Amino acid sequence: MKLLLIEDEADLATEIKNYLISNDVSCEWACDVESALEKLDLFEYDCVLLDLSLPDGTGMFVLEHLKKLARPEGVIITSAKDSLESRLKGLQLGADDYLIKPFHLAELLARTQALFRRKHFLGSNIMALHEIEVDLMAKSVSVSGQQIDVTKKEFELLLYLVANKNRILSKSSLAEHLSGDMAYMLDNHDFVYTHIKNLKRKLIQAGANDYIKTVYGLGYQWVM
Amino acid sequence: MGNVRRKLLHETLKGYVLYAIAIVLLSTPFFYLVIQKLHLDDVDETLLLRTKEFKKYTIPDLQTSEIDQWNRFNRDMKIVKSDRLILRDSLSFQFIYDTLANELEPYRILTSPVTVEGKPFVVSTKVDLIESEDLVLSLALLYSGLLLLLLTGLFFITQYYSKRLWQPFYRTLYAVEQFEIDKTQVPELTSTAIEEFYRLNQVVRGLVSRSRLAFLNQQEFIENAAHELQTPLAIFQSKLDNFLQHPDLTASQLQALGPLYDLLARLNRMNKNLLVLSKIDHQSYDAIEPVDLAALLKKSVDFFEDQAVEKGIFLETRFIEVTWVNANIALIEILISNLLMNAIAHNRPNGSIEISLNNSELIFRNTGISTAISDDKLFQRFAKTDSTSKGNGLGLSIVKRIADLYGWQILYEFENGFHTFAIKISTQVSPQ
Repeated sequence: MKLLLIEDEADLATEIKNYLISNDVSCEWACDVESALEKLDLFEYDCVLLDLSLPDGTGMFVLEHLKKLARPEGVIITSAKDSLESRLKGLQLGADDYLIKPFHLAELLARTQALFRRKHFLGSNIMALHEIEVDLMAKSVSVSGQQIDVTKKEFELLLYLVANKNRILSKSSLAEHLSGDMAYMLDNHDFVYTHIKNLKRKLIQAGANDYIKTVYGLGYQWVM
Repeated sequence: MGNVRRKLLHETLKGYVLYAIAIVLLSTPFFYLVIQKLHLDDVDETLLLRTKEFKKYTIPDLQTSEIDQWNRFNRDMKIVKSDRLILRDSLSFQFIYDTLANELEPYRILTSPVTVEGKPFVVSTKVDLIESEDLVLSLALLYSGLLLLLLTGLFFITQYYSKRLWQPFYRTLYAVEQFEIDKTQVPELTSTAIEEFYRLNQVVRGLVSRSRLAFLNQQEFIENAAHELQTPLAIFQSKLDNFLQHPDLTASQLQALGPLYDLLARLNRMNKNLLVLSKIDHQSYDAIEPVDLAALLKKSVDFFEDQAVEKGIFLETRFIEVTWVNANIALIEILISNLLMNAIAHNRPNGSIEISLNNSELIFRNTGISTAISDDKLFQRFAKTDSTSKGNGLGLSIVKRIADLYGWQILYEFENGFHTFAIKISTQVSPQ
């Protein structure tokens, strides 16, 4: 997957780049509107991560540009601005997703992958992970052909873990992924433990290997 | 009784009214007595004059044989034989039976010694006082009537002028009362020609604009601080996310990183809450639409159920009545979530929460600490009831801010081990 990161904070851009690259996403960085447009003129990407407040203008301009040219890139807006208006405007201009800063890198990766899957729909929505198969459309999970009964939250956790496989995910990252926009309201992320425990049990009972590793005191990791 | 508020105008007029009543009550009998005395003097003078004239013009020609005749035709002046020796004229009051009126009537009588044909007689001249009594009484009443009229008139004139005089004061008072630091502009204070009120207005204007400026500065500061914090927080979080992936980290090193995420989440939460407060202040949530409270309540309960289950808290919703309000949907979501979050966060393990929504009253009841929270701390920003809580003390102040925005009343009560928050929703609408 090829991705263009448009972000004016160099520190943040470096971190995002590092995380994505180590997950086999090739990532290029533009720090303002001008260089972003330049890169977009030269290359085609699968996905654009777009910050809205840039030193030489607003990211909305880049979005308008992409829309005018009917470019195929999927766009995820990453903004500190959490207002309904800017969110609606972004989505109207053709953005596919809107992520509010600060976010977990794992969340960004999961969203990028989901977007990539939507854009490159290859006739099948089945994700195979050794003996485990995940049907993204039907939102069902089966182990060795045998469907198992998972809750909506367990399904989402599984996808999130798998999207960031072999990465250590903090408990708060998982909790915030499950909670969406309301995540900031929570003062306790321990409820993740219950969902992970149930998911783990269901997978093992159905005969799958134990891929979910607990990182004591910190979080979880899908090891595969 | 010391706390009873009295109106300025009443205070001004109270002394006046007491004075007027005292004057009328005291002066009326005094006036009556004076008039009576004057009248009596007049009567006495008449009696003396009449007797004097009688003595001068009639007595010298009068004969003893004519006395009976005289007495027969004169009702008010009689000549009688003197039983004892009277040397001087004497005036006296006497009640005489009146056969016509069939009652005793007061008379003023002058008795004077005369000599008719060398024999001593007494002339007694009398004047009926009954009619003059009536006159005196009428005069006294007329006087007090006039006095009363005068004082009443003065009362109303004073009242009218006092009211007019104090009008600039009342206008200033009203303007200050209407002033809301977060909503309205600095009030226009009308100019006045009265020195003291002019000074009052100057001072009020100064105070109001200074506090408004301080408020705006504070608002701007909160907004800027919260916005500026977002970037370093985002960088911090992503550095930490990347750091975790370092292959050389040991299990204990990873474990030590865990709390950093909790702290980050706390920082984020506080920052978001500050932004919410500042956005309410900036009217960023002014899009109003009919909102289904029951539906939002259900959504919120579904979302927070995990949190409650985690603490073993029994969460019960009952009497949920479909209630529509005209409000901003995001704010109502924030309001409900904060109330519910508060009920969970300050609960005890295996406690309970009861939520109800009926008669336009949204009620959250929860178990928790066994004492009531003091009212002044309840909605104060950053006020905490217990030091162990991970809350930032902004949740309830956001709730209060939103309720205030829509003019809803929040009541807090601690009873039978339950902390109760009741919101009286006053802007109910019918669904569209």
